[in-house]
Amino acid sequence: MFSASRFFSLSVLLLALVVLAVGCGKGGGDSTATPSPGGSDDGGAGKRIIILTNGTSPFWDAAKIGAQEAAADLKTAEAGLRVVVDTNDFSDKGQIDKLRSYQGMSDVAGVGISITNSGNSSIADELRKLAKQGVKVITIDSDIDRKNDRDSRIAYIGTDNVYGGEELGKAAKGLKPDGGNYATFVGLKGAANAIERIGGFGVGAGDKFKQKENFGDGGDQNTARKNVRDAIDRNADLDTLVGIWSYNAPAIVDIVTQLKRRKDFTIVTFDAEPIAIDHMKNGMIDAMAVQNPHAMGYEGVRMLKALITDDKDALAAMEKRMNRTEEKDLFDTGLKIIIPDEGSPLAETKFGDNTNKLTLSKFTEWLKSKGLQGS
Amino acid sequence: MALNSAGGIQGAQAPSGLSRLYSRYATECGLLIAIFAVIVIAILIDPTNAYLEKPWYNATEILRHASILGIFAMGAGIVIISGGIDLSSGSVIAFSGVICCSMILGLCQFAGLVDDTGNPVTANLPGWILVVAISGTLGVGFIVGSFHAWLITVVRLPPFIATLASLVGLRSLGRVLIQDVNRVFTSNANTQIYIRDATYKSLGNEWYIPVIICAVVALVLFTLMRSTVTGRHLYAIGGNEDAARLSGISTEKKKWLAYCIGTMTAALAGILYSSYVGGAMPDRDGLGYELNAIAAAVVGGCSLAGGLGTISGIVLGAIFLRVVIDAVAKTVKDNPDEFQGMIVGLLVVLAVTFNELRSQKGDRKKFFPGALGIVNIISLTVLMGLVAMLVTSDGDSSTDDSRDKLFAGCLVAGITFAVLVARKMFESRPTGEQALVSTPITANAQSDSSAGGSSSESGKQEIEGDGPGGGEEADEGMDS
Repeated sequence: MFSASRFFSLSVLLLALVVLAVGCGKGGGDSTATPSPGGSDDGGAGKRIIILTNGTSPFWDAAKIGAQEAAADLKTAEAGLRVVVDTNDFSDKGQIDKLRSYQGMSDVAGVGISITNSGNSSIADELRKLAKQGVKVITIDSDIDRKNDRDSRIAYIGTDNVYGGEELGKAAKGLKPDGGNYATFVGLKGAANAIERIGGFGVGAGDKFKQKENFGDGGDQNTARKNVRDAIDRNADLDTLVGIWSYNAPAIVDIVTQLKRRKDFTIVTFDAEPIAIDHMKNGMIDAMAVQNPHAMGYEGVRMLKALITDDKDALAAMEKRMNRTEEKDLFDTGLKIIIPDEGSPLAETKFGDNTNKLTLSKFTEWLKSKGLQGS
Repeated sequence: MALNSAGGIQGAQAPSGLSRLYSRYATECGLLIAIFAVIVIAILIDPTNAYLEKPWYNATEILRHASILGIFAMGAGIVIISGGIDLSSGSVIAFSGVICCSMILGLCQFAGLVDDTGNPVTANLPGWILVVAISGTLGVGFIVGSFHAWLITVVRLPPFIATLASLVGLRSLGRVLIQDVNRVFTSNANTQIYIRDATYKSLGNEWYIPVIICAVVALVLFTLMRSTVTGRHLYAIGGNEDAARLSGISTEKKKWLAYCIGTMTAALAGILYSSYVGGAMPDRDGLGYELNAIAAAVVGGCSLAGGLGTISGIVLGAIFLRVVIDAVAKTVKDNPDEFQGMIVGLLVVLAVTFNELRSQKGDRKKFFPGALGIVNIISLTVLMGLVAMLVTSDGDSSTDDSRDKLFAGCLVAGITFAVLVARKMFESRPTGEQALVSTPITANAQSDSSAGGSSSESGKQEIEGDGPGGGEEADEGMDS
């Protein structure tokens, strides 16, 4: 006989399945799909362009807005393509799992991935397997190891991170012409963008600057704050704090504010999270090297759509901007150096040809024009 | 009643082979049905039909993931069966990855496999390096397990504390160690080690290797737990450690064995994990995996109180979890991992509740007693409605989609409320014993008959309800 308790638990189980059945087919989260022609919701139908992040941060929110704009502007739905932003957890395994999962799906047409660890050839192996299945693969924001695994993706779209690091180094040099001792703070020390930016910073800052520490926090913002405190505690002569990933800027400012030691440090950072913009307004950050995640999302979708639909004109137009290296596979989305509105020693400093120097107020105007809160 | 010649009860139908099998392996049968149900539902609601279009690839992927989870879940399960708990699996996985990769680097230096800058070349490694590194890593797993056993049986730390210390300490040790290893064997102090050898990388990437390893481990542990005195002793220790000790069982030695199995299976999984990700990254490797192992064991029928559980159940528990995770990835196309925790959590609670119900006495269980019950009916209703709304969301703020979300939420909340209120009313009805107490003496004759009916019904249900669970417990009791 079927007891009431079993009937009850089976009912609850069925209920849970109803919940799944009601919702799952519709997808959730970050779909940027637009209705397909004829008014039908393409939902899970058609093919997908997936932007796979290395983790979560406002940086990727801006990239998502760019991807959404591209989906609308380029009418991806008309080509039977749906744009999706998939978020990794900063781990190599997370990214490998997702790439393998895509191989088991029949609706993945293109992947734009921000590599968590450039040195990990297993990620490149999975990219190659995807490419073998006919999936178009590009890297965004953080590239694979170009020496060993360049063949695993078609192109890289993002900041030239070595150049970005050099420009931020130049900013530090402009702020402290006599040099100093610096510590760098980043999420994953093995990520290509981290290695390149930190290396570039050393070159741009020059011989008078000495690196005392390089901290990785694994994407944990609590650890990011602890690292700043540890760096300050351990190095009495530390005078320059360098945030390499977007959330490192607020982490640095929080600790410096807590310790009430703003006057002891020059603070230069990458990216402009909304809170970092407020911090610069409040005089807590001296310079920001700002990438253009919006353009990364936009151009990533544009390139993937062109590759999938074999749109030679669009590809040719993009290739014109990819001639900085012999391989012609790097698409630079540009760099901005942001300085406070008044009193910055960098007002007269000259930066590289590909750098757009802006005051904070001009930068916030630009953000508004793009519907962004940060970049 | 008279017994027939075969020892059965005359008049009662002898249980068929199928029902005997079900009685003996009720948890396993339930999990097989659940796995099948999840796959069918995923096929029905996946618009791209991934399971139908790429059945082989998806099946092998699920098996590969489930095997790696299953390997260390079996170890964690044996510790649970013996009445302990091992929270260190995730950290042991990270640490064993560091040990294995460090040994490979060291042995490369020893064998002169270095490039012109003096850095070890980890591609095309000779087989002996892999054998030594893997054996050494398993040896380290044995040492960690022995340390746990010493802390628990000699120092008398509670298992939770002893293995919690390893959970925190081993990962940290791995993070420090890997930098020193890199400093010694390479030209810098990286926080990761990457291995490029194709054979090593194939260990965790070729689907059949983890599956074969898992099958062998399962067979060995199944035999140990089912057919050896040592296995029965482990059940006995989990059921009642004092009684086991008083009956002459060497509980310390058996616990030593259990904790070593726990850490050595975690070390084995760590090697496969490291092979899968292409190296060792101790800051993130195996993060939170101890809970996955415990979840797989509990879903597979292990009781956290000890003394209950089977190896086959744990393996199926691991497969069930991976099937659910994979099904969510296939059906929720956008950011499935955001939904995975919610859905897996829900199904784990349901699976364990279902298991508990089998071993408890059916109708007598009150889920919603008094005010606490009413509050939880409301909270479960809201929760289910919310889950339905969230899962239905597609991020588009158009009016139609908002209406869909609201409809789905209200529908599921309404059904939930109706089911739970029905249950509450069912629980609130007077039972036979309550009726006896509250019925006036003048109504004794009538109430006696109804109470008798109720009792016999209840007794019947008990026998029937205990069929699978009781059979299993009796079976396991025999094992013990």
